[in-house]
Amino acid sequence: MANTNTAHGESHVQHHFVDSEQQFDSSKLGMWIFLVTEVLFFGGLFVAYIVYRAWNPELFYMSAKELSTMMGAINTIVLIGSSLTIALAVRAAQLNQQANISKYLLVTIFLACVFLVIKYFEYTSKFAVGILPGELYTYEGIDHPGAAIFFSIYYMMTGLHGIHVIIGIGIMVWLLVKTRQGAYNSSYFTPIEITALYWHLVDLIWIFLFPLLYLIE
Amino acid sequence: MSEHNHHVIDLKYLLGAAGALVVLTVITVAAAYMDIPRPFDLITALTLAFGKATIVAAVFMGLIWDKKINTMALLFSILFFFIMIGITLLDTLFRDRPFWVWN
Repeated sequence: MANTNTAHGESHVQHHFVDSEQQFDSSKLGMWIFLVTEVLFFGGLFVAYIVYRAWNPELFYMSAKELSTMMGAINTIVLIGSSLTIALAVRAAQLNQQANISKYLLVTIFLACVFLVIKYFEYTSKFAVGILPGELYTYEGIDHPGAAIFFSIYYMMTGLHGIHVIIGIGIMVWLLVKTRQGAYNSSYFTPIEITALYWHLVDLIWIFLFPLLYLIE
Repeated sequence: MSEHNHHVIDLKYLLGAAGALVVLTVITVAAAYMDIPRPFDLITALTLAFGKATIVAAVFMGLIWDKKINTMALLFSILFFFIMIGITLLDTLFRDRPFWVWN
């Protein structure tokens, strides 16, 4: 890391950028291009969902009844809240309020953990009755020859989403440590900004997962 | 030297977006219990989901105030996602019998 651009007086500017502004915009566009690949990554699973739902419409109506609408709805609200708090963390960085960056990052991490705890209770209650992915599926409660299909797709989609939540927590813990070291201020907060973009995408994906998996009545 | 170009999103937009998202979530759940006939139940749920997604992208992700190229990136990802759906369905919707992996 050769932060040797003294010509502009800002140590975080890499030598191949004209100035801090250009570096910030490049980082942000780079993050958006990564988010494009994320949309298509989850997109593959959404296509699987669409294909199997088109083939087995009754199965999806029968299976979704097994999921707890209340837990899904609470988790939706939890993620919306965490999106708000990370947006407030970015705002605190822009306004140079160091203590508030830490505070909002902590709340966001807490809400992300709440999401995972609720998801843990959902998963374990399903495991207990033999609702497992693929050939491990042993639940007898759904009278349909393709009963394992819905929950295999459910586990893949919510599992990949859950992995994103866990990765998000890891990145935010790292941001918290760096914030406490005074790494971010109103002229340099790029890591907080692009982590927030990532976190909002995790929220966005859940906004589609919730009605498609839980609310088929 | 760079602060002046970063748009600080007004607090009322952030709180308003969060409030709107909570209200739309409640409406989404209520709509699911209303026994809307198929396929309009799915259309309602997806319309509400796209509405919520637009709020997150526009306000929380700051696309309203951001460079247009970032919005373009998101729109192109959605376009190519729809192309992926379309081309796949051209195959799977016109098969003689469904293909099941596990049964």
